[in-house]
Amino acid sequence: MTDTIDKLAMYLSGGLLLLGVVVTGLIETLAGKPYGAAPQTNEAGEVIASPAIDPNIRTALVMAALLVMLLYAIYKLATPIEEEAGTAAPPSTSD
Amino acid sequence: MSHNTQTATNTGFSFQVSGTWKAYWVAMLRVLTGWWFFHSGFGKLLDSGLNFGYAPMYLEGMSGTTLGPVATFMAGFPNLMAALVPLFETLIGLALIAGLLTRLASFGGVVFMSLFWVGNAGFSHGLVNSDFMGLLLFVTMIVFAAGRYYGLDAFVEQTRFVQSNPKLKYLLG
Repeated sequence: MTDTIDKLAMYLSGGLLLLGVVVTGLIETLAGKPYGAAPQTNEAGEVIASPAIDPNIRTALVMAALLVMLLYAIYKLATPIEEEAGTAAPPSTSD
Repeated sequence: MSHNTQTATNTGFSFQVSGTWKAYWVAMLRVLTGWWFFHSGFGKLLDSGLNFGYAPMYLEGMSGTTLGPVATFMAGFPNLMAALVPLFETLIGLALIAGLLTRLASFGGVVFMSLFWVGNAGFSHGLVNSDFMGLLLFVTMIVFAAGRYYGLDAFVEQTRFVQSNPKLKYLLG
């Protein structure tokens, strides 16, 4: 059960992170100028090209990924600690 | 976060931070990230004490962003924000430098960096900028339990109190 929740949290948060940063970033780049998340302006400061994807959507996807991790942390705090079979060694990383 | 590290990748490679160089580098990242926040917070404290007036203004200016509703709600308590921002930055920094309550402090760092990342500068340097990298550093501190390596959490976690309340390791570590 715990392993399933672990995997679900990793796949969901990882998927949202990659979608918000890499996938939408690639679309933004291929869609032409401004290539990034900020609008392109001329010397007078007028916007001459706006991002294809609203940066709020991209930041919301990343925030959703962090929210998934937070929910996972709350889940770990709320459920009893499981003893893993065959783990006699002291915890070395993220237990 | 209690995934079996021996088989995590199914490629025959294990990942253990107990290796000398890995532990050393996780500790270095922790201390340097801590110094970054301590310097920022303590500088504000020296400059304006517990009255950092820019904090509520900054939060107010975040309306229209992803975290706008949260930020403008926080901006509704200007005196509290003006005091808490420099104080928490300093405490988060000190906690990371000492490696004490590392995961709890890093959670605070994630909150700070989320607000900085979403609210700062309009992404003129791209969505993946230094604020985002700072945010990822704090998440890394939590995932690696960075306080266990040359940090005080290594000793605190061995106390009888923590041993009998093992869930505290989710705030320490």
